[in-house]
Amino acid sequence: MTETAVLRMTGISKSFPGIRALSAVDFDVEAGEVHAVVGENGAGKSTLMKVLAGVYQPDDGTIELDGVAVRLSDPIEARRRGIGMVYQELNLVPDLTVAENILLGSTPSRFGLVDRRALREQARAVLDELDARIHTDDLVGSLTVSQQQIVEIAKVYAARPRIVVLDEPTSSLSEHETQSLFRIIGRMTEAGLAVIYISHRLREVLDISQRVTVLRDGRLVDTRPTSGITAAEMIRLMVGRDLTEVFPKREVEIGEVALSVTGLSRAGEFDDISLTVRSGEILGLAGLVGAGRTEVARAIFGLDNRDAGLIEIDGTVVNIRGPRDAVRAGIAYVPEDRKRDGIVPQLSIKDNISLAVLDRVSAAGWIRPNAERTLARQKADELTVTPPAITPRVDTLSGGNQQKVVFAKWLAAGPRVLILDEPTRGVDVGAKADIHTIIGELAARGTAIVLISSELPEVLAVSDRILVLHDGRISAELPRGASEQEVMHAATGEFVS
Amino acid sequence: MQQSVFARQGTRLALPISIVLILLVGALLSDKFLTLRNLTNVLINMSIVGIIVVGMTFVFVTRGLADLSVPATVAVGGLLVLGLQSSLGTLGAAVVGVLAAAIAGAVNGWLVGYAGLNPVITTLASGTIVLGIAQVFVGGVIVYGDDPQAQDFLTGRVFGVVPVIVLIFIAVVAMGHLLLSRTVLGRWSYAVGSNPFATQASAVPVRRVRAIVFLLTGTLAGFSGVLLGVTLQTARPGIGMGYEFDAITAVVVGGVSLLGGSGTVLRAIGGLLFVQLLTNIMVLQGVPTEPQGIVKGVLIAGAVAIDVALRRRGGRE
Amino acid sequence: MTSTRHILDSEVFHALVRNRVVVILVSTLVIGATLVPGFLEFRTASLGLDRMATLGLVAIGLTVVLIAGQLDLSGGAILALSGIATIGLQSQLGQIPAAIVGLAVGVAAGAVNGFLVVVLRINSLVATLASLLFFRALCHLITESRPISGIDPLFGLIVSRPIGGTFTGRTVLFFAMIVLLHLWLTRAVAGRQLFAVGSNPASAEASGIRSRAYLFGAFVFSGTMAGVAGVIQSLSVNTGSPVFGERIVLVAIAAVVIGGTRLEGGRGSALGTLGGLLTIAALTTAMEYQSVPAYLQDIVTGVILLLLILLDRTVSSSQRRDVTLAALWRRAWASRQLKENERTNAP
Repeated sequence: MTETAVLRMTGISKSFPGIRALSAVDFDVEAGEVHAVVGENGAGKSTLMKVLAGVYQPDDGTIELDGVAVRLSDPIEARRRGIGMVYQELNLVPDLTVAENILLGSTPSRFGLVDRRALREQARAVLDELDARIHTDDLVGSLTVSQQQIVEIAKVYAARPRIVVLDEPTSSLSEHETQSLFRIIGRMTEAGLAVIYISHRLREVLDISQRVTVLRDGRLVDTRPTSGITAAEMIRLMVGRDLTEVFPKREVEIGEVALSVTGLSRAGEFDDISLTVRSGEILGLAGLVGAGRTEVARAIFGLDNRDAGLIEIDGTVVNIRGPRDAVRAGIAYVPEDRKRDGIVPQLSIKDNISLAVLDRVSAAGWIRPNAERTLARQKADELTVTPPAITPRVDTLSGGNQQKVVFAKWLAAGPRVLILDEPTRGVDVGAKADIHTIIGELAARGTAIVLISSELPEVLAVSDRILVLHDGRISAELPRGASEQEVMHAATGEFVS
Repeated sequence: MQQSVFARQGTRLALPISIVLILLVGALLSDKFLTLRNLTNVLINMSIVGIIVVGMTFVFVTRGLADLSVPATVAVGGLLVLGLQSSLGTLGAAVVGVLAAAIAGAVNGWLVGYAGLNPVITTLASGTIVLGIAQVFVGGVIVYGDDPQAQDFLTGRVFGVVPVIVLIFIAVVAMGHLLLSRTVLGRWSYAVGSNPFATQASAVPVRRVRAIVFLLTGTLAGFSGVLLGVTLQTARPGIGMGYEFDAITAVVVGGVSLLGGSGTVLRAIGGLLFVQLLTNIMVLQGVPTEPQGIVKGVLIAGAVAIDVALRRRGGRE
Repeated sequence: MTSTRHILDSEVFHALVRNRVVVILVSTLVIGATLVPGFLEFRTASLGLDRMATLGLVAIGLTVVLIAGQLDLSGGAILALSGIATIGLQSQLGQIPAAIVGLAVGVAAGAVNGFLVVVLRINSLVATLASLLFFRALCHLITESRPISGIDPLFGLIVSRPIGGTFTGRTVLFFAMIVLLHLWLTRAVAGRQLFAVGSNPASAEASGIRSRAYLFGAFVFSGTMAGVAGVIQSLSVNTGSPVFGERIVLVAIAAVVIGGTRLEGGRGSALGTLGGLLTIAALTTAMEYQSVPAYLQDIVTGVILLLLILLDRTVSSSQRRDVTLAALWRRAWASRQLKENERTNAP
């Protein structure tokens, strides 16, 4: 198959302040092909797709459609050029019918009135081409997620694109629904479309794609025919890297069980999660995106509900209905989404640091300014927040320093158990080292630590034990010294004998 | 994404500068303007609304949008303090009035804070209900008071200069300011308005905070209604009409953002002062009352537009 | 607790809530018929509808604005302002031209709102609060806070006299507008696209819909409807007053919410608003008959509104099956005809 590729991206680079998201990535897709893109979080998959969608402009490189160089200046231009995006968050109008959603913006009409027959027929034609059994007159809001996704795909397809990008399409689908989706993808490729398929589910990638591209740290690792690659090989390409940033692990005396979780479940998210963490121990929680790690953490901390499960601190059962209960029990949580759940942007560094423990620096509801200042300064210094002043608003800080402020907030709470969710994501190397040092010190002081991280070297270097989650269940418990391959195998559900 | 220093300082200083400017303009336009008598009158007029402004500031800071039930809670205070005067005495009736308004505020608080309803529609509806209940209570007519001593007390002056009612106003403002700027509740209010998710994740009782500010506003409005009733010794159900607009105008002109997370009680009172001085100048110039409403409307729109524009330029939504 | 959950999640409950306007309307009519002799007679109905027509026109405008995801609090003030223009200019321009000017005032006022929200990007609550103040003050300014009288009280009979012994002119106008709105919302491309704008303006833009134009148009429409209501109201009583329309927005919102239009945007219907208005009309008639004073009526309106938005909050919005009347009907019909192959597979 050596026809001119429908899409050819050459030497695409894109940087953001402090992060080099893409470095000279080459990528192409041919008509009628399903080309999968895999990689860890932060590998650059979504950035590459956003460049294609016209959301970002590349700093370097060219994009060619049918051999002609184009500039995708904005999403509308990209759409016009025949690039169809199906994101994870669907863009449908729940109170309009399936047909209306599919043809939104191009509704057939006569004198300004909807031509209902034409609408139904055109929508039916699109759905039939995709062999999708959905009634055109049902309200989209009443469909299941899987059906809604099909409507979204039909909507994109109706615009007669050349290329369709599917971003993690199966994350909320059952096995059966995934097969329906694959059938639809098959129809699209039969019609000559080029399909780009982004997924963490390597088994599906092997099933559906003709070629696989592996990205790592913003670089292209390799592009291979799917027939010539195995899951193990994909994993090796995804994670193999020099462990240049070695984080010296302090030897710490591990004490009694501090946190014990038994049978934690929430329907649709995670099932029967049980774990223990001891004083001074660092328990790594590994797994792919969507495995349920953050959901488990939030459930332990009380931010989200749980259907079942027991939580014990130092052997005593605690009933956690919300974050306040959790904090009272001695649990702290540094969240994954810093911008949304971590910092209060308009407040100062000082105010952010003291936010969770105001009762400790106040008397009868009155804040004691000196006590607060002292506490905040102390914590900010411990974490070497830059700038050293505590009065600037926290939204003026860099990502790494903002993360330190969030850390400082929870350190101020002096927790017994500290859950860290991707603590060094989006953080520069210097801040990363600082944070690792702090983690080590906390462990030395006897704090029990749960470390959620998608960065395998980090998890492997820092943890005493590693729990791997896969699809909401614990799939393996690995000791210190486990290899990256072992972790990835457990994380993807691919066990290699 | 930093706002330029100039823009930031500009916003901070705009209000004090405007107040100074308007004092100058007023002095130029009329020699009666800068007299003690005139300025004291301005303060007296400010006092009732000012107490409400304190509460409304909290609502804005927590991003509670607005409390439109103020006319009702003010009326409740006024009607009850006079209606129950003969049986409970002025003081007792005042307590009942404030309490009733507080209950209304608590209901608002529960509906908005815990049930998560839209604050505008909720307070609009609850205000209508409360006003109706108050009217049922007094039979829907004008209520007259019969306690000239209390009236004299409030309108009397301390040291022959400062009216008592103004003192009460200043005291409430001081307490409100301290509450918002120095207490845990105040800090929580800013946090909730700025980023409720992170605040929730920081173990702060977000719903409780949202509820409390409406309780506070209701209580303060009731209190100001009581003061109004005692001062006038007459009250009718419509006595509180327009106060919510005046309060919102003051808060917005004072630079307290509708989107929450910023602003202080003092700034809101500064906004009130500005509007009141402006009104005073117009009165002294013989401008009839109606165009003043126009000015207020333009002021709100203008102040919010400026706020939005500045935030946009600063890179924040 | 679980049994409550079961009730709240059951399809029957969802169907009831989704079509609540029918439920509420029917119950109100039943209550009304019980309390008021002659309630269901034509004359009572006609009077009640006539009284509701002005409110109904404002509610029509409000429905559009709410579907677009916005709020418009200034309807009452625009009503008053239009009425004042209509009456006040009669001696100078003649009655019909003055009425046209009144209408134009409504359009212009709506455009002001649109400008504030769409161009200046001010939150619609604050913007319409500000314009409400502004217009109301303008009313007081022009009339010096006194009602003004028109030149010919009989002219207003055009709108307030029963036509052919049946419905009054304004009732007919209202019904015509409601039907037009219904057709527009269900059949016109622009009407359907309004739902997209109110539901998710960003994705509507991505589909090529000019959301900002729709939002602007929604406010102009709402202002125009308030203007029409103001013209009609003032002509019928031959008076222009700066205090007209003071409570109308709340009642209009209540009617719209009873009808099932969501405050968050993206959902609503003209028929629903009609049902809500009929309910209010029936309630008002019944209460007036019982000599219930105005402030008590206000309490009832307020309580209903609160209960309904509470209900909207409590009931989970993710339904598995379409429970609109149209869909229920379709299902009942199709199951009789066994058209299985056309229906979406049961999940």
